[in-house]
Amino acid sequence: MKIRKVNWTQFMSFPAILLYSIFFVYPLLKGIGMSLTDWDGMGTANFVGLSNFERFFQDKRAIGDIRTTLIFAAGSAVFLNLVGLGYALLMERPFHGRSAARVIIYLPAIISPLIMGYIWYFLLQPGRGFLYHAAEQLGTTFFLGKWMNDYPTTMTVLVFVNVWQYAGMTMIIYLAGLKNISTDILEAAIVDGAGSWQRFTRVTLPLLMPAIRINVVTNIIGSLSVFDVIMSLTEGGPGYATESLSIYIMRMCYGSRTGYSTAVAMILFFIILIPVLISLYLTKEKSDA
Amino acid sequence: MMRQENTTFRTFRVMTVILICLMCIIPFYILLVLSLNSPSRIYYEGNIFIPSFDWNNYITAWEKSRIGLAMINSGIITFGTLGLTIVLGGMAGYAIARHNTAYNKIVFSILIGCMMIPGIINTVPLYTLMRRIKAVNTLWGMILVCSALAMPSAVFIYTTFIRALPRELDEAAEVDGCTGFHAFWRIIFPILKPATASFVILNGFGVWNNYAQAVFFLQSRDKQNIPQALSVFFQQFGGAKWHLMASTAVIAIIPVIIIFLIFQRQFIEGLTEGAVKG
Repeated sequence: MKIRKVNWTQFMSFPAILLYSIFFVYPLLKGIGMSLTDWDGMGTANFVGLSNFERFFQDKRAIGDIRTTLIFAAGSAVFLNLVGLGYALLMERPFHGRSAARVIIYLPAIISPLIMGYIWYFLLQPGRGFLYHAAEQLGTTFFLGKWMNDYPTTMTVLVFVNVWQYAGMTMIIYLAGLKNISTDILEAAIVDGAGSWQRFTRVTLPLLMPAIRINVVTNIIGSLSVFDVIMSLTEGGPGYATESLSIYIMRMCYGSRTGYSTAVAMILFFIILIPVLISLYLTKEKSDA
Repeated sequence: MMRQENTTFRTFRVMTVILICLMCIIPFYILLVLSLNSPSRIYYEGNIFIPSFDWNNYITAWEKSRIGLAMINSGIITFGTLGLTIVLGGMAGYAIARHNTAYNKIVFSILIGCMMIPGIINTVPLYTLMRRIKAVNTLWGMILVCSALAMPSAVFIYTTFIRALPRELDEAAEVDGCTGFHAFWRIIFPILKPATASFVILNGFGVWNNYAQAVFFLQSRDKQNIPQALSVFFQQFGGAKWHLMASTAVIAIIPVIIIFLIFQRQFIEGLTEGAVKG
């Protein structure tokens, strides 16, 4: 009898995919089913169709959370990229102490965003924070007295803290992208009479597309699922004004609305998927060009 | 050669960089000041940038916050997660890079397809699963959850790296009598160090700092990791006792900063290379 020899080495990927399936894929799929039930996490689950989704869109708090999440993400994605690119352009040419500067600017990105949120809370807490008292000594308190009562200011502060923390990370990726652009091409553009603005928009930016793509996509995913920094800085308050969808999911889960919270997770999934697909499409490299 | 840069512009550029660096450092300095203020110090008396150097805060913070235990937990979780993901991810990367079978193609597409889904999407169903297998409030449970979250990144990095290795390496091993599995451990795994380094760089701090999963899976006081312990500790105060909160925060970030400063060169280079390849 002839037995066909199977190459078992190909199944060395089995343990990894087994672990991943149990702890990632299975809960993901199970969530779809759970989102259609009224399960409270303990008793029996009843099929309720799409009513969790209907309830979500009728809940003012949930709609506010979508708004907060989208504003936070749009602000973060735009400013992280602008600031990160600006930093990278400033740091592109060598100068004394450049590597030290790079380390310092990157430093905030390695700290837990939860702790970073607390640090900024010490600095900014309305009427009590360190900066409030520092400003008071100068004779004015700017907006530091009660910024949390004002939604636009509060959102600005949240975006600012996020951009402050992660601008170093986008900068490093842009620096890597800039390093890859050969000086010959820029020299050629100079010879062709291109001014510095033209060189930047016509040569540097298009060649920077891979870096832009990584930064935009990671920033969108990260900021649409924002959790830590809002928890420590405002706890989603005042009231639920600055609550993000991730925090809402956690609170609904703790509130024994398990089925409902998985429905919200499904909605968040699409809120993340759509802009990611759009930005992947927009930054697609034109390989046929 | 690039054109010579105008001196005025160069000065302006360097000054701006210095300002940016100050902006990055000052919040940490103020945290340090707050952590050294005595509890009785009223905020606006004297020079607020000079603390009253009350080192007792650190002793009290260390004792009351149980941050030491949280550090051990965070350490176990981080090492466990990275170790497990490196071994399983390395094996998977080898199989996928060397055996382009239908099975491995499916494995790779599942991992890469889900790579962009943040953990919060499946945390609630995962929580019910974890409760059923009694993995809530255990370090091994948290290690498994974090490993699953880091797995796509590991497999992606190892697959890319191994694909670039010459196949003669495997063949030489087989001539020496090593079968595929042994060839991997003896010959391939030891030369994966650069890939392992970039995986650790990209994921290490994220695991150490994990909060979104810790909130669900590490609620018991003995099992909290650093962010979870810190947030529970801070919530007790309801906004009072900043000196203790600040000194706990300093203790919490010191290990991360030290490790970053020791490995900063490899770190920045690794990130730069990772970005170029990705």
